[in-house]
Amino acid sequence: MPKKRIRYWRNTMKKTALGCLALLLLCVFPLSAVAEKRIIGKVKGLRGLVSILRDGRTEPAFPNDEIYQSDTILTGSDGAIGILLEDNTLISMGPIGRISMDKFQFTPSRNEYELRLHMMHGTFIYQSGLLGKLAPHAVELQTPVGRISMLKDTSFKAKFTE
Amino acid sequence: MEHPMNWKIVFVLLSFPLLVSGCGSKENFIILSPASEGLVGALEVETEKGSAILDEEGKVMYIAGLTSFPAEPTEISTAESQELFRDVLQVHPLMPQSFLLYFQHSSDALTEKSQKLIPAILEAVKKRQSRDIAIIGHTDRTGGEGYNRILSMERAQVVYDILRGQNIKGEEMTILYHGEANPLVHTADDVAEPRNRRVEVMVR
Repeated sequence: MPKKRIRYWRNTMKKTALGCLALLLLCVFPLSAVAEKRIIGKVKGLRGLVSILRDGRTEPAFPNDEIYQSDTILTGSDGAIGILLEDNTLISMGPIGRISMDKFQFTPSRNEYELRLHMMHGTFIYQSGLLGKLAPHAVELQTPVGRISMLKDTSFKAKFTE
Repeated sequence: MEHPMNWKIVFVLLSFPLLVSGCGSKENFIILSPASEGLVGALEVETEKGSAILDEEGKVMYIAGLTSFPAEPTEISTAESQELFRDVLQVHPLMPQSFLLYFQHSSDALTEKSQKLIPAILEAVKKRQSRDIAIIGHTDRTGGEGYNRILSMERAQVVYDILRGQNIKGEEMTILYHGEANPLVHTADDVAEPRNRRVEVMVR
């Protein structure tokens, strides 16, 4: 094959690869953006200063505010928050706490269940909801001292220190 | 005279990290909540060293760190646990409460017994300061699907109107209706089943 043609092929291949990559990015990013924006629960109890870190911005939390998947919640020295998830799981956190709501999926009609939280620091109350009843194995909690998984429908209180 | 003083300070400085790490064993722990509906839960904690199971109500498991084994679960008094979680207990929400209101056959009139449940619903709303009330209408399988869809909507609307009349704001309520598609008791078509002629009120 003459050198020119090889170069032509290489360029075409490059363009095709770039095109594919662009398409892939277009496909993946809008979808992940939609997934990030999913409402998973609401603020039901609140005291003192509590902030929500979402998409790189920190906003103060108020009662009845919506909680989205991927939110990180931080409490001040007098802050505390109680959250009700869509499946009736209750999660509360005391002062100087930090938790991220990594993943929540609750679609009984399609048998899709997943709850992943990262309890980084603070005191917590976790009260199991429908997800914990229907699919305890779909609950996975990360903590500074390791991973908690449910063997059956379970509620607990805990303290973790980073 | 100055030297002993300095040594004291050095000693305090040196022992400080030891004191802090000594406290570390009580910095991380999990307490299993008492049984709900007669069932005791069970969870597994997995550190880098290994895993352990906590499956006795009211017991506490201390975990010194990611690179230690979780300790053997021990007893903890309710009073101590209440004290440790005082701040967080104050904001912990009440579990949502669900009410079933039943209706007369092929009608949007509540049964007498169900009418008496309305104060309990209002009480549940008040206790939670709820602004999140779902009203979900259902029918049994007598009559056609289309008819039942409308009947289930009318039933939900009746409950909405009752609650609206008790000063619950419209924007705090959501109406849903499923016709005969979500029975509580499964039956063949055209079977009258009073337990399916219902509106569920979920106070969240």
